[in-house]
Amino acid sequence: MERNQMLRQVAVMRQSFFDQGFLDEQFVQLEELQDDANPNFVEEVVTLYYRDSSRQILNIDQALERNPLDFNKLDTYMHQFKGSSTSIGAKKVKAECTQFREYCKAGNGEGCMRTFQQVKKEYAILKRKLEAYFQQVRVQSGPSETACRPRN
Amino acid sequence: MEVRSGVNVADTQQSQKQHFHVLAVDDSLTERKILERLLRESSCKVTCVDSGDKALEYLRLLDGQESDSTASSSSTQSSQQEELKVHLIMTDYSMPGMNGYDLLKRVKGSSWKDIPVVVMSSENVPSRIRKCLEEGAEEFLLKPLQLTDVNKLQPHLLKSLVHSNKDISSCTDNDNDNIIDITMINNNKVISKRRAVSPEPLETITKMKGLAVV
Repeated sequence: MERNQMLRQVAVMRQSFFDQGFLDEQFVQLEELQDDANPNFVEEVVTLYYRDSSRQILNIDQALERNPLDFNKLDTYMHQFKGSSTSIGAKKVKAECTQFREYCKAGNGEGCMRTFQQVKKEYAILKRKLEAYFQQVRVQSGPSETACRPRN
Repeated sequence: MEVRSGVNVADTQQSQKQHFHVLAVDDSLTERKILERLLRESSCKVTCVDSGDKALEYLRLLDGQESDSTASSSSTQSSQQEELKVHLIMTDYSMPGMNGYDLLKRVKGSSWKDIPVVVMSSENVPSRIRKCLEEGAEEFLLKPLQLTDVNKLQPHLLKSLVHSNKDISSCTDNDNDNIIDITMINNNKVISKRRAVSPEPLETITKMKGLAVV
C-alpha cells in the first residue's frame, strides 16, 4: 500500500514537470535511454549538466561585469549553455536563454542582465525539483526487486 | 538472404555489432554523454573527444604525426601502431577553436576522406547546412539528437564498414544493386542536400535499413 503511494507520488511529481512546462519531450528521450544496463542514466546526465553548466553560468556572470559588454562573447557562452539545457529538456531555462540571445543580438545590455537573472532563477528552481524527484525515485526503487521506469 | 562476396548477411550483422566505431566530437560534456549513449544504443563503439584538435590528434592527422599510412583500410602500420578503424565521425558545428566545418574540411582533405562525416548543430542555418553538405558531410543533423536521428545513420555505417572491408564489387544480384545505388547517390551532392532537408529517407535507403543492425 505504502509503496503504491510512493510510486504514485513520483509519477505525479514527474507529470507536473511536463504540465507546468519545466521539462519537455527531450527529457522523455533521456528516460527512454535508461534501462537495466544503464539504470541511472537520467540522473547521471542531469548531475553532469548541473556540474558542467555551473561553469558556463560563471563565465556569463563574469562577462556581464565587463564594461563595455562583449555581446559576441556573451552570445557564444549562452549558446553553449542553451545547448546543454536543451539536451536535458530544461524547457523554461531554454526559453530564458533564447530571450537572452535576442537581447545580445540587439546589443541590449540591460535586457541581457535582467534576463540572465531569470535564467539563473529557472535553473535553480529546476535543480531543486529534479533533486527532490531523483531522491524520491531512489527511495521508491530501493527495497523493491524491480524498479519501475516511468512511462508517459 | 543475399550473399555478398562469400559473407552472408547474418554473419555481417553479427560482426557489425562490434565493428561500428564512431568518433564523436562535441565540446559539451552533457551532450557528449548523451551522444555516446545514443550511439551505444545503436550497437556502436564510441570514442568521444571534446575538440576538433583532439579529433585530428586521434586520427593521427596533426603535424608531426603519421599521416598517409593510417587510413582505416590500410594494413601497412608500423609495428607499434594498432590499426585504427573509424567508420563514422560525428561532430558538433559550434565549438571553440576549430569548428565542425573546419574539422570536416581537414578530414575530407586527408586519408580519412572516405569516412562519412555527420555535422550536428542546434541552429538551423540553411547556408551553414549547405556549406557542410557541399564540403562532403553525409548528413546535417539538428540538435537535440534523438534515437531516430541516430538510426538514420545506419546506412552510412554499413556502407563505411563494407567499404573498409573492400567489399564493394560489381554484381548482378538485385539486392546488391541497392548498395551500389546508395554509394552513387551519396556521391551525388544534390541528392544528399535534398535528403538533409527533407526528413523522409530515400526509398533505397529504406530498403537497405532492413539489412542494417538494429
